[in-house]
Amino acid sequence: MKKWWILLVVFAAWIGLGCVLLRPRHAGAAFEKQPSRAPARIVSMAPNLTEILFSLGLDASIVGVTHDSDYPPAAAQKPTVGTFWQPNIEAVIALRPDLVVALDFEQQRSLAERLTRMGYKCLTLDISTVDDLFDAISAVAAATDRSQQAEQVRGSMKAKMAVVRDKTAAKDKVKVLWVVQREPLRVAGRNTFINELVELAGGENAIGQTLHVYPPIGGEQIIVSAPQVIIEPTMVSGDVHEQDVQAASFWKRYTTVPAVAGRRIHVIDGDLVSRLSPRLGDGIEAIAKCLHPEVFGE
Amino acid sequence: MVQQLLSPRILLVRTAAAAAVLVVVMLLCALAGSESISLKTALTGAHEGGTTNSDYEILVHIRVPRVILAAIVGAALAAAGVALQALLRNPLADPYILGISSGAGLGATLAIIGGFSWTLWGRSPIAIFAFVGAVGTVWLVWGIGRITGRFHVTGLLLAGVAVNAFFSAIIMFLISVAKGQQLHATMFWLMGNMAEEEFFVLWIGAGCVTAGVVSLYFLAPQLNAISFNPEDARSMGIHVERVQLLAFTISAFVTAVAVSLSGLIGFVGLVVPHAVRLVLGPDHRQLLPIAGICGAMFLVIADTVARVIVAPAQLPVGVVTAMVGGPFFLILLIRYNRKVSWLR
Amino acid sequence: MTASVHVQNVSFAYHRAQPVLKDISITVAAGRFLAILGPNGAGKSTLINLIAGSLTPRSGTISIDGINIRFCRPRELARKIAIVRQGSVPVFGFSVAETVLMARTAHYGPLGFESEIDRQCVAEALEMTATTEFASRPLASLSGGERQRVFIARALAQDTPILLMDEPTTFLDLKHQVGIYDLLKTIQVNRSRTIIAITQDVNLAAQYCDDAILLRPLSRPPGSTKGSDADLCRCQCRIGPASDVLTAGHIEEVFGVSGFSGRIGKENFFVPLGRMAKDAIRDADP
Repeated sequence: MKKWWILLVVFAAWIGLGCVLLRPRHAGAAFEKQPSRAPARIVSMAPNLTEILFSLGLDASIVGVTHDSDYPPAAAQKPTVGTFWQPNIEAVIALRPDLVVALDFEQQRSLAERLTRMGYKCLTLDISTVDDLFDAISAVAAATDRSQQAEQVRGSMKAKMAVVRDKTAAKDKVKVLWVVQREPLRVAGRNTFINELVELAGGENAIGQTLHVYPPIGGEQIIVSAPQVIIEPTMVSGDVHEQDVQAASFWKRYTTVPAVAGRRIHVIDGDLVSRLSPRLGDGIEAIAKCLHPEVFGE
Repeated sequence: MVQQLLSPRILLVRTAAAAAVLVVVMLLCALAGSESISLKTALTGAHEGGTTNSDYEILVHIRVPRVILAAIVGAALAAAGVALQALLRNPLADPYILGISSGAGLGATLAIIGGFSWTLWGRSPIAIFAFVGAVGTVWLVWGIGRITGRFHVTGLLLAGVAVNAFFSAIIMFLISVAKGQQLHATMFWLMGNMAEEEFFVLWIGAGCVTAGVVSLYFLAPQLNAISFNPEDARSMGIHVERVQLLAFTISAFVTAVAVSLSGLIGFVGLVVPHAVRLVLGPDHRQLLPIAGICGAMFLVIADTVARVIVAPAQLPVGVVTAMVGGPFFLILLIRYNRKVSWLR
Repeated sequence: MTASVHVQNVSFAYHRAQPVLKDISITVAAGRFLAILGPNGAGKSTLINLIAGSLTPRSGTISIDGINIRFCRPRELARKIAIVRQGSVPVFGFSVAETVLMARTAHYGPLGFESEIDRQCVAEALEMTATTEFASRPLASLSGGERQRVFIARALAQDTPILLMDEPTTFLDLKHQVGIYDLLKTIQVNRSRTIIAITQDVNLAAQYCDDAILLRPLSRPPGSTKGSDADLCRCQCRIGPASDVLTAGHIEEVFGVSGFSGRIGKENFFVPLGRMAKDAIRDADP
């Protein structure tokens, strides 16, 4: 019986000692990393963030990107720090960054927290909507003293979007089914940024409100929703032609669907539309070409 | 005169030897990783000439905490595995068998999908939800299992299976509704992940796990008798129900701590007790400390492999433990079949 | 040290509809050797388990040296009673020595290790049951009979004034059957232990035991109509000195088998005879 009491006392003392000695502090490392007005070494943790940095003219300051940052081509030459889903914290630290830019979702947020705890400067951005994208560009510009370039970037993006809007304003909204995965069939629902892009391009999601963000749907819903255009983004860029062929053979069984009957199944470059980036305008234009070909020509 | 019985001296020598090996392994593994660092550079201090010493940063703030974490979790899972195998008289038991895995998984999934951002003592909501989920589920399963009778192991196991199935279904539903990033985060959590933690968290975790292992060691002679036959154990003066409840609670608590720190890592709690028992025999006074130390070693090495083998990416630790544990378990089974044992 | 067992008006049922023991009263004086015999399902194991405290009677009390066992903690009870049940094969590979040592768990020191006394008890117990040669072997590698002797050694190592045994000589060969009974008798006499053993061997019981119980199953005879409770428990047990209880007449009545009884010196014996044997004897000796 005595040994249990001894154990309890030792355990309580251990915990107490820990609380006194090691209470979590918030300034991690002893060396305070002074955020200079313009950070000289930047690490980007997502492909769209890389694009934003490049668009602001910061290519010289970028010392590390994630593995899938493939645009612009210069980004692919930079040292990598893991992947978008699995960032490698050791690689980030080894680059001795002045600023780390990350997206606001679980993996990256926790990475940013860990780095902040160690005294690194991190900027975490939530880019889920088009508005978020514009805010993010401003935030990055503020942190890197590039507000002028940010104006230009935003301006040109808005200009492209305005062009598309003007051309499609008078037209009827085209019903679109946006297929992210064929087997099992999943489409983009109303709660996605893709939905925003489609609407900005003069279209409307064929699927109504759903509980799922990317709802799996069955053959019935395809027929009932009667989309006029089906769009499939490529998973691997450059494979447009091959996916075209596969898509055609997959969809031909749905003969009653207007999109199939009208041969309006489009495979577009996934890169442009799978992320919210400064190429937003190009992405919307690409979509608009599929929805209103008569206005945009080929 | 009887020989080969465990004596305090033998136990002390073996435990000390194992602990020494563990420390060496931990040091070596801290030097391995996706970035090559040199010990010499790291030891020159936190910063050299105005810039941060990234080797030092990586070693002290990333590697060492992570290795310590792996040791804590590995020891917890192995010790809990030993205790549960004894209580359930089943060498195939592991710490998750009574619903802890699905309970913790459900807690974590709810936290991820709920998108909570508050923290408690610096612990993310996921860890806390996972802990609560684990403990709550065990309590539930124990309550259901008790209905079937005092020493009735089968009832407990069946209750665990049922609860596991039910909660897993809920998890699957939640995953299907989740947004892409949450989905990924959930899956990675469920596969086990190691990240460095603050030293405060490691201190508390180490304290809890060590206290748990020591308490189970105190119960070891009773566990010996209970793992043999609970009815006979009672006749030999052991308060079987009390020991069962205590051992069960401690194992569940220690496992819940491990799971809240690092997600679900399988096979450690199943394979390590087996392997140690195969070499050293079933005496729990020896099994508990040594299996705890071996579990720590196993997970430290597995985590290092996970970090290094596909660098710069990382495998989830659970993948490595499963890939090692699966074939190992098969080999054990084949060897057991030849040896005189329970398969007869 | 020695102790007496007193079972007072004990009733027990596993399920409410099926009582197993009804209103049983037995006294085993200190230092006596009692044999419990009876057909399958009579409640012999149940009775032993009740005395050992593993089961709780629905009514009545069981006391040891005057103390009601219901108020005893397992540890106290374990110092008074050791029980050998039908042996089981363990899941884990404990050795013989480790198995017997478990009986001393209640005596371990604070760090969970045995003392010299414990080890001596174990050594003695192994020697008494002729199992010393198996000491380091895994229990599962022994034959059923050898395992049984180890379980008996374990009960002996517990060093208690009362020993309960549930058919201790099943699986044992003839030499060891007699050997165990010799051992038990020696212990009873030299160390004044109280021994209660369930057995199916009428003759060994008659040879070695001081007292005997013939226990009847508590059930309605087939085809009977619903009678009163009194009919049911008509003489569930017949208890007394072995020579009085284990007569041919009593045995034939309780077991429902006929046989040949005789006497060698002071010892009675009874040989059950089946139909074929009886026919053969009749034919040989008209």
